[in-house]
Amino acid sequence: MAIFNLKKREIECKIVYYGPGRCGKTTNLEFIFKSYKKQVRGEMVSINTEGDRTLFFDFLPMGLGKIRGCDVRVQLYTVPGQVKYSSTRKLVLRGVDGVVFVADSLEVRREKNMLSLKDLQSNLKEYGKSIFKVPLVMQYNKRDLAEQGIPLMPLEQMERDLNRQLKVPSFPASAVKGAGVGVTLKECLKLTLKALQKEFKWAQ
Amino acid sequence: MADFKQQLKALLGEAEIYKSQGLVDEARAKYKTAAELIRSKPNIKNRDGLLDAIRAKIGQLQKQQIDADQVVQSPKLSPKAQNLIKNLFIATDEEHPDDAALQAAIMMAKIGQFESAITEFNKLIQKDRLRVAAAKHILQCHLAKSSEREAIEQYRRWIEDGGFPPRQLETVRQYLEEILQQKGIKRRLPSPKIETEDKADQIPEPETESETEEDFIDITSIAISFEGGPHKGKTVEFDVNFQSGNMLSLIISKNEADVLEGLDDGMKLNDIQFFSPIAIFSGAGVVVSKTQIKSGPKQGDYCLDIRITST
Ligand SMILES: Nc1nc2c(ncn2[C@@H]2O[C@H](COP(=O)(O)OP(=O)(O)OP(=O)(O)O)[C@@H](O)[C@H]2O)c(=O)[nH]1
Ligand SMILES: [Mg+2]
Repeated sequence: MAIFNLKKREIECKIVYYGPGRCGKTTNLEFIFKSYKKQVRGEMVSINTEGDRTLFFDFLPMGLGKIRGCDVRVQLYTVPGQVKYSSTRKLVLRGVDGVVFVADSLEVRREKNMLSLKDLQSNLKEYGKSIFKVPLVMQYNKRDLAEQGIPLMPLEQMERDLNRQLKVPSFPASAVKGAGVGVTLKECLKLTLKALQKEFKWAQ
Repeated sequence: MADFKQQLKALLGEAEIYKSQGLVDEARAKYKTAAELIRSKPNIKNRDGLLDAIRAKIGQLQKQQIDADQVVQSPKLSPKAQNLIKNLFIATDEEHPDDAALQAAIMMAKIGQFESAITEFNKLIQKDRLRVAAAKHILQCHLAKSSEREAIEQYRRWIEDGGFPPRQLETVRQYLEEILQQKGIKRRLPSPKIETEDKADQIPEPETESETEEDFIDITSIAISFEGGPHKGKTVEFDVNFQSGNMLSLIISKNEADVLEGLDDGMKLNDIQFFSPIAIFSGAGVVVSKTQIKSGPKQGDYCLDIRITST
């Protein structure tokens, strides 16, 4: 849940990067950390295993400055994607205001994407939220691997698999190269802030 | 022949990429397909050499997987990370930061970070409202580490310190005695001195615990009767390691992991006996999650969360 301080005209919201293991959530945050120095408000904290897999979460605080007279702060989190960390994922999702679902374009990860999206839906439901109502953006990551001849799913197929019912904005990306990372985040922020403006009736 | 070479190259290229991304199963599958391809061509020169090379690659993968599963052996989370975990809760419950801190500490205990959790619980012991809950959790942490002696020592220190209001401490004593008894340890613990003549005693005591904690009586163990699955017809008893409201957490040793078979997320348990210091009652619950503890003294054991749905 966003924290809204009417007196100080400050708002702090939480965006969570969700998706199957190894799809590139942490890589998204790393790129944001490197490339948006002006907006980043502190260190990126990662709680990892040896093999670089997220064990608990990654965390990156950002500040967007004043939007319609209100100081907007954003906390970015990633969940651990591996199936076994289910309770941690649920915890990190607590109080979420907006979600970026990172899907892996690798053909071999097709089923994992779908399972993870289902897992997101059921975890949101536990917090009384509907996946159809939460501000949500899709990212189809690792598009760069096509150049190396690795079998990827066509974007249309990913849309059909994951976005047929949700119909949320979606973006192809290559998080290692930084392509598509910024637009994904910006779109998610836009949707999230719009929802919060409606909820808190600020800037009217 | 050129076709074969191309195919093999593509398969190995894919496998290498998956490997570099930590997608171990996918990489292994590609290596295996590559090996089959080679085997299907009896006339290739250097066939055995190629097959050996692939076997070696698969061996490396196995090792990579084991390494990746080895969690960094840091029994303590960094203070910054701990703070973040706490804030995860506080951000969502701004009005009750102490309750949030309590939840965060329970979370740390659940992931096997007992020392960090105890440090946090000790801070909460200063708060009248949460003192009893925090104290019980500290004892649970010691017991989860299999150190009954430390739990008893801790209780003694609380008596000696004198900082603990006797009535609250008495609740804690009953609780500890009950748990020890269930573990087969019969032990009479010294009671705190409750001064009955004290006038102040007639003033009703403030609520000692937060609502969410006190909604539910303490449950020290449960017995689940399996209605289906591999253990159908069996009744298995479990100690409760942590409780917060109607949520029970059980830590189950990796050696006993087979009882967990069939206890999957979302599973309804319609026949549970609950044992508490004051009563035994039956009811129902649902499995909220089953996770493996990744580090600390309980590494490899499981934490099973069960929510009580009716009693
Ligand atoms: N080629 C390519 N590799 C990528 C891309 N994004 C991530 N990777 C690689 O995929 C692997 C996993 O990336 P992470 O960012 O750690 O994945 P994650 O989603 O955080 O994984 P978990 O923490 O286990 O859930 C790493 O080896 C990354 O370098 C991409 O766009 N292209
Ligand atoms: Mg990660």
